[in-house]
Amino acid sequence: MIKEEKVDKSEIVLKLENLTKRFGDLTAVNNINLEVHRGETIGLVGPNGAGKTTTIKMIAKILRPNSGRILIRSNHSELQDLNKISRTISQIGFLIDIPAFYNMTAYQLLRYFANLQNYPKNKINQRIDELLERFKLSEWKYKPVKTFSKGMTQKIGIIQALIHDPEIIILDEPQTGLDPLARVEIRKYIRELQSLGKTIFVASHMLYEISEVCDKIALINYGSIIGFDTVENLALTLKTSELNCVLLEPIKPSELEPLINLLTERLDPYLDKDLDPMVSKIPVKYYPEQQGLKIFYDGRNESKGDILKTLIKEFESDFTVISFTQPRTSQLERVYAEMVKDNDSKEKNILNKEV
Amino acid sequence: MENRKNSFNGIKPIFYTIVFEIKKQRRKFYFFSFIAIIVAILLGYVLQLIPGYLLSDTQAEFFNNGLQFISFITLFSACLFFSGIICSEFDKKTGFIVFPKINKYKLILGKYFGNLILVVSIITLYYFILGILGFFYYGGPINIRLFYSYGIAILYVIALSSFVTFFSSFMRSVNLTIISTLILLLIGFNIADQIVTLVFKESFEPLYSLAYLGNLITGILEYPFPDPRYSEFSFSGMGPGGMGGDFSFGQWVTPSIEMGIALLIVFIVFYFLLAAYLFKRRQL
Repeated sequence: MIKEEKVDKSEIVLKLENLTKRFGDLTAVNNINLEVHRGETIGLVGPNGAGKTTTIKMIAKILRPNSGRILIRSNHSELQDLNKISRTISQIGFLIDIPAFYNMTAYQLLRYFANLQNYPKNKINQRIDELLERFKLSEWKYKPVKTFSKGMTQKIGIIQALIHDPEIIILDEPQTGLDPLARVEIRKYIRELQSLGKTIFVASHMLYEISEVCDKIALINYGSIIGFDTVENLALTLKTSELNCVLLEPIKPSELEPLINLLTERLDPYLDKDLDPMVSKIPVKYYPEQQGLKIFYDGRNESKGDILKTLIKEFESDFTVISFTQPRTSQLERVYAEMVKDNDSKEKNILNKEV
Repeated sequence: MENRKNSFNGIKPIFYTIVFEIKKQRRKFYFFSFIAIIVAILLGYVLQLIPGYLLSDTQAEFFNNGLQFISFITLFSACLFFSGIICSEFDKKTGFIVFPKINKYKLILGKYFGNLILVVSIITLYYFILGILGFFYYGGPINIRLFYSYGIAILYVIALSSFVTFFSSFMRSVNLTIISTLILLLIGFNIADQIVTLVFKESFEPLYSLAYLGNLITGILEYPFPDPRYSEFSFSGMGPGGMGGDFSFGQWVTPSIEMGIALLIVFIVFYFLLAAYLFKRRQL
């Protein structure tokens, strides 16, 4: 039974100020500004090489920023410059890159890491057992980590980040190498950590995983944050939004065409007039496999309600709507794709001008 | 009281790292201990069983013969225990897990002392067996110079360890560190010493050389201590057809005790501090 904890979400626990990291001519992280509040789950999303891991490495003090600073609040004190703190930051748990371990058993490693982070000695064994059981690795407790599969090593990587029960958890691509069931487990565990009031920072390019667990998303490309907000607010920037309606019974093929035409006519005031043909050629589409309709609308919140009312009232005799949802992942995918595309073309323009 | 508790908390990660490192390197330790026992027994016991092989006249000479291979054991063990001490964290990327958990200076101190305990134990084991055999052949008490030699050997292995640690701080891979330090310590220093001696003769003592400083381990067993410490051998050559001439070859036998000990301590501190600084600066 997990006891939910109430936290003051207005308190900033981690702040990145004008953070920049260069490797020779390459600017890996470019003037990033980001605020993470206590209890929030932030997703850092971007393509490979966008600067996600570099940002996390700077927070972990593995890399030194060229300019800017990282501020951290430990135990509700003032925000402190990470560079000026000589000790290690034990309230943060890190999983960086693909984890690699010394050739020791899972128990020996986890015990060492817990000791280093000053976790109470009398509770270490209990904590190790608890986490190994949570991630279904109890049987592997005394086996050398080098004999573990990729997914199991990744799980040990996540466990080592959590072993000292940190307030802030920073996970870089936590789903790498995990099978679908293990991914579900990780998502479930992240939600449990959320309910405990933990602040979580997840970097990934797996949009589904991110959109499912994160309160806010920071989109990063070419080392710059190109968008930072909730999925819903980010989606407002989209010209087109979509709605999924699942029907109780399938539409008969003979009735399909007139019905779609009628739907398009009735829903016309709310539909997207400039629908991108790359997204869809028609604004109302029927998917027989899913037994559902996909409606591309103008993205306004009030339109959603009106569409639902129209479907229920005017098409009562044609079908019954059993589910009416706005998919977060596909929205995020499109926000991501559009923002990255815009940013790519800006970068190209800059490069062309420089040339 | 609170201050004492805080400072203890500060050194606790070093202690945990020492214990962890000892556990991690235990297989290497068993292997080198086995080698040390075999070599000590071979030189100190099995060799005496060969018909016609005469046992040394004195206990000190017996120890001197038995210690002929000590520099190899110290060298190989230092290279193999310490070569990965820093660069493996970068090469194998284990640093991503461990660097956020422990200050780099504490990590290097813990790993250094952990490995040092093992290497010193191997040397101790070798001297112990040799001491027992010396007692077995010549009776007690054990010649005090064996203990002096043991002390020098310990200093020497620590200096070698610092030297290899320094290399590990900037090398890319463990294997490269092993190869380069072995070449330098086995061949590099000796070649440099011979060139220097050939050019400068007795006017310049190769005190920069760790290999030369290692001569003190057996040098201290000699009674009286070698004086002069520089010796020259002359050969009158008669080449084909009556050609040839006088040829002299000089060699520095051993450093003086005071200078040897002082320099070993300087090397220990210098190489370790340099290694720690480079490790702190190096980014993953």
